[in-house]
Amino acid sequence: MNFNGTFTQVIDELVQRVMPSLVIVRGHRFGAGAGIVWDANGLILTNNHVVGRHNPIVILQNDGEYESRLLARDPDVDLALLSIDATDLTPLRPASVSPRVGEMVFAFGHPWGQRNTVTRGIVSALVSAQNRRGDTLPVVRSDTPLAPGNSGGPLVNAKGEVVGINAMIIGGDQSVSIAASVAMDFVNKALSKKNSEERTNQRTPQDVI
Amino acid sequence: MSNNVLVELSDALADAAEKAGNATVLVNARRRMPASGIVYASDLILTADHILEREEGIKVILGDGTEVSARIAGRDAGSDVAVLKLERAVETVAEATKSPARLGQIALVLGRPSPNGIEASLGTVSAIGGPIRTGRGGMLEKYIRTDSISYPGFSGGPLVAADGTVLGVNTSGLANGAAVTIPADIAWRIADTLVKHGRIQHGYLGIRSQTVEIPAASQKALKHEQATGLLVVGVENDSPASKGGLIVGDILVAVAGVPVLHHDELFTRLSGDVVGKSTPIDVLRGGQPQTINVVIGER
Repeated sequence: MNFNGTFTQVIDELVQRVMPSLVIVRGHRFGAGAGIVWDANGLILTNNHVVGRHNPIVILQNDGEYESRLLARDPDVDLALLSIDATDLTPLRPASVSPRVGEMVFAFGHPWGQRNTVTRGIVSALVSAQNRRGDTLPVVRSDTPLAPGNSGGPLVNAKGEVVGINAMIIGGDQSVSIAASVAMDFVNKALSKKNSEERTNQRTPQDVI
Repeated sequence: MSNNVLVELSDALADAAEKAGNATVLVNARRRMPASGIVYASDLILTADHILEREEGIKVILGDGTEVSARIAGRDAGSDVAVLKLERAVETVAEATKSPARLGQIALVLGRPSPNGIEASLGTVSAIGGPIRTGRGGMLEKYIRTDSISYPGFSGGPLVAADGTVLGVNTSGLANGAAVTIPADIAWRIADTLVKHGRIQHGYLGIRSQTVEIPAASQKALKHEQATGLLVVGVENDSPASKGGLIVGDILVAVAGVPVLHHDELFTRLSGDVVGKSTPIDVLRGGQPQTINVVIGER
């Protein structure tokens, strides 16, 4: 195989591809977490523990600041879905299959406030973490260095697809990300609830019939 | 994104983890969390000695999740290597590397500390050294260090090259808890001896010696370059050395044809298969090379 410069190039392409989808989520007075642009029309996925008590401020890569609306949050999976009034955003795509132990992963986030940081690792184990209710939650453990500020950011594979939402808080001293499948379920549930509520509120003709 | 070198490397690493992972087992022989082992022959498991805290009721969980009982076939505390014999044969056997680890090479550290699946971390080979005295009173001819994370329960598991072959056996038992890898050729050789004899025999010569420089003239007589040898300053009565005819003043330069420059190397040379055998020992006597056959004793 000829690596003649191409290796650095593909890593650069990966970073260029993923970075536009990384946002800052400022939910507390001090400190901030990361978030992922989940669709082009302003859906932002992040950790529940990043959101805090108020509707957090979302800062895009172009430095645009938006006050967000909290669409859904679930402390049991440590996820929250925010919405901002923005369009034409660049979303990330979740991986369609579960990751393999040994495959390369890259974490994007703002560890210790260092903006737009990329760290590299491999998938160490596919395990279950226990949440505070004692339910098990599929998580991706990796040897990627994570720190406060990575929370809510994406863990992507070599193709730039999301395999997990970084959430060190669950793992203690180990790097842990919530599996992408959990995130997809959470978002789908949140959106179908939102849609049914909107239908009820709008009382469209279909609903009357 | 289409396939590129990064995706290919990522896939290759996952393939390597899967291939070697199938031959990496869980070894449950202590009260705390289980550790790992390597299927080294169809019914034999290579693992770390220090993780075996009991001799009865040892359980091994294979890559496919099935549990097999095992007993200790041999163990050596000094090198922290042990071999378990499985109750039945298994299919997937690990493949030892044919090309030894190189500095800078990327390598996976694999373990199976939980029945839920294989675990891995990635690093590079950051040092290759030796011989060193181990923290357990033995001598390791060569060791490998990596910069990867060793998760709890990884002892006894393999260090794996990108092609899925085993570069060595990882253990935290040799260097005060720090992770060290015993190179595969050494680990396999120790394991072979353990299977044959159940333990590692440590040879006994019966000399006291000190390292000395070999004068240029004597080096010429040796017909090869060797900076130092071991000056015999004492020979125990009735020892293998005295029976073989070694005398004070000899400079020991080789055992079984392998040059010996320092004490550590003599120690290494006297372990294992030479015990009980007539072994040629090269010395300089009066500046002239001479070969003396000594039946190596056991300590």
